[in-house]
Amino acid sequence: MELARYGMRNTFILVLLMSFISCAKPVEEIITPEVVNIKAHEIPELVASFAGEKAVLLNVWATWCIPCVEEFPYIIQVQNEHKDDLQVVFISADFPEEIDRINQFLRDHDVYWQTYLKDDNDEAFIDAVQTEWTGAIPISVFYNKDGSFLTYFERGADYDEFKELAVKAISNNN
Amino acid sequence: MKKLRLLLIPVLTIGFMAFTTNTMNELEIGAVGPMFDYEMMDISGETITLADVKGENGTLLIFSCNTCPYVHAWEDRYLKVAEIAKANGIGMILVNPNEDIRDRGESLQDNIERATMVGYTFPYTIDTDHALADAYGATRTPHVYLMDKDNVLVFRGAIDDNSRSAADVKSHYLEDAIKELVDGKAITTKTSRAIGCTIKRS
Repeated sequence: MELARYGMRNTFILVLLMSFISCAKPVEEIITPEVVNIKAHEIPELVASFAGEKAVLLNVWATWCIPCVEEFPYIIQVQNEHKDDLQVVFISADFPEEIDRINQFLRDHDVYWQTYLKDDNDEAFIDAVQTEWTGAIPISVFYNKDGSFLTYFERGADYDEFKELAVKAISNNN
Repeated sequence: MKKLRLLLIPVLTIGFMAFTTNTMNELEIGAVGPMFDYEMMDISGETITLADVKGENGTLLIFSCNTCPYVHAWEDRYLKVAEIAKANGIGMILVNPNEDIRDRGESLQDNIERATMVGYTFPYTIDTDHALADAYGATRTPHVYLMDKDNVLVFRGAIDDNSRSAADVKSHYLEDAIKELVDGKAITTKTSRAIGCTIKRS
């Protein structure tokens, strides 16, 4: 009798656990694409490919760059808030031997879209990103939804600034 | 109402530009380099000025730091450039403007340790509150400024076109500028750019 009672209790707990597991919402797994090399001439082509569909925020960063790392979560937050209207294009200026560190950093920040690694000489790369850029990172360049240039700055920024400029680029209200 | 709107447009535009674009203006080629009497603490323990460093043919000022991988990549060139500068009567100085992270590798003691480790043969100072970097409009490390004997800026920018490998350099911007300056020739490439670490302003 005692044994049967224990058996029933265990069965009840097991059923309860199984029903809880089956009802729980599955956790969406984020797959971070590995960073791929990008040449200078490919940058304007990439930016232009979003014209008419999405505004673009082009950001050049590096894993060792303090302001880059500080602003990274803000950019991701803005991207997540405007998935349909904004495309963030991250280009790492790390040295190629740092590729494992770059990919780990991207995974740690749940970056789910394709990002890039600078693969060209500095002058060509700088001109392709923004002709007025002095070369200091981070740099953020905003393009309106119609593909036209909005603005850029070569310094770190906070969430509010990224948000304001992203909304402006999306609305094409320049 | 219309007048107010017309007045607001430029005000808002200027406000927005100041908000979003760069506030640093790099010193123009042909301008006189400022703050030659500005006193900075050197790794030697003495306070020095650009005027103290200046050579008979000019001054080479490089904004640099201890923690930037691009500085580390170019550092072997620092030593070579110092030899070329000395041989051509150009005084050379490194200046650290990273005021915001003095406690994270950019203090005077950190300067001393870096200079000792790499074997710097030139002064390396602290630019308190990045006053000198602001005056020259420097944005990154390394960021190079070459002035002639009258302190006129003749070259600005990057040392060469390959931070990672001295052997693969195709354009020796700074070395060429020094030689042309001393030879009394016009500088062929007056400005050059390279990726560098943002100066950490407070």
